[in-house]
Amino acid sequence: MGAVPFDRSVLKVGQVILMAGLLIGYVVSLFRPLAWIALPVLAVMMLHGAAVPSQSLPRQLYLKVLKPRGLVRPRVLVEDPAPHRFAQLVGGVFLAAASLLAIPGLYVAAWTLGWIVIALAFLNFAFDICVGCIMYAQLVRVGVLPLRRTAA
Amino acid sequence: MLALAPVLAIAVIALATLALRAGQARQRRYLVGNVVGGPVDGPAILFFSGSTCTICHTAQRPALQRLAPALEGRVTVREVDVADEPTLAQRFKVMSLPTTVVLDGEGRARAVNAGFAPEKVLRRQLVEAGLVPA
Repeated sequence: MGAVPFDRSVLKVGQVILMAGLLIGYVVSLFRPLAWIALPVLAVMMLHGAAVPSQSLPRQLYLKVLKPRGLVRPRVLVEDPAPHRFAQLVGGVFLAAASLLAIPGLYVAAWTLGWIVIALAFLNFAFDICVGCIMYAQLVRVGVLPLRRTAA
Repeated sequence: MLALAPVLAIAVIALATLALRAGQARQRRYLVGNVVGGPVDGPAILFFSGSTCTICHTAQRPALQRLAPALEGRVTVREVDVADEPTLAQRFKVMSLPTTVVLDGEGRARAVNAGFAPEKVLRRQLVEAGLVPA
């Protein structure tokens, strides 16, 4: 099986960065529309995290700064990391789509997608409800995604 | 106008939730009263879970463990990981985790719970189905 020891604190750090970045970006964009730049920056962070989890910014921040200083405690569970990786990919795709909408000036649509990502990240952060993971399970169930339980 | 973005996001999420609820209602209509055929012989509770479903591990599994003594061996509890057994999950049209299905001796679904089902609810459903004494 692909269940491996997996530190959920990395995910929590990523969710905090995501929510804080999007909220700051949104508030600033109420006065300065150019703040939509937060959308592609965070999209890149998410997509990079999904593609190369070992080098993701939240992971590096957690391992090199937060964990050694005792600011965030490890929360290791034995589980398959693939659904979490898929959830990151979904978040990254949403933010990439939001970025594309912001380029021609469709800021309301762009930030609506941004707020959906904030809400989903909050659900995961506060209640451990991972909507992307639920989507992953559904896609495996209907055969769209292969059952691949390897370490991510 | 930009201030509308969070309101629109909430509206989109609310619509998605309503669509999910409609899907769960369809699942109940499709299953309850019909012989779907379970993976075990005799009365059973199928508990669909997944490795990343926290509530499955922290709430649903303990609720089923608390219920176990009341079953007195009459009803089998079978946990199904949807990633390991996608065909079975598909047959029961599982849309969310956890999902619990109460099956009678003929493999007929008597109750379907999408989302966490407390011990009290499961016990009532088993009694109503005549699978355990009141």
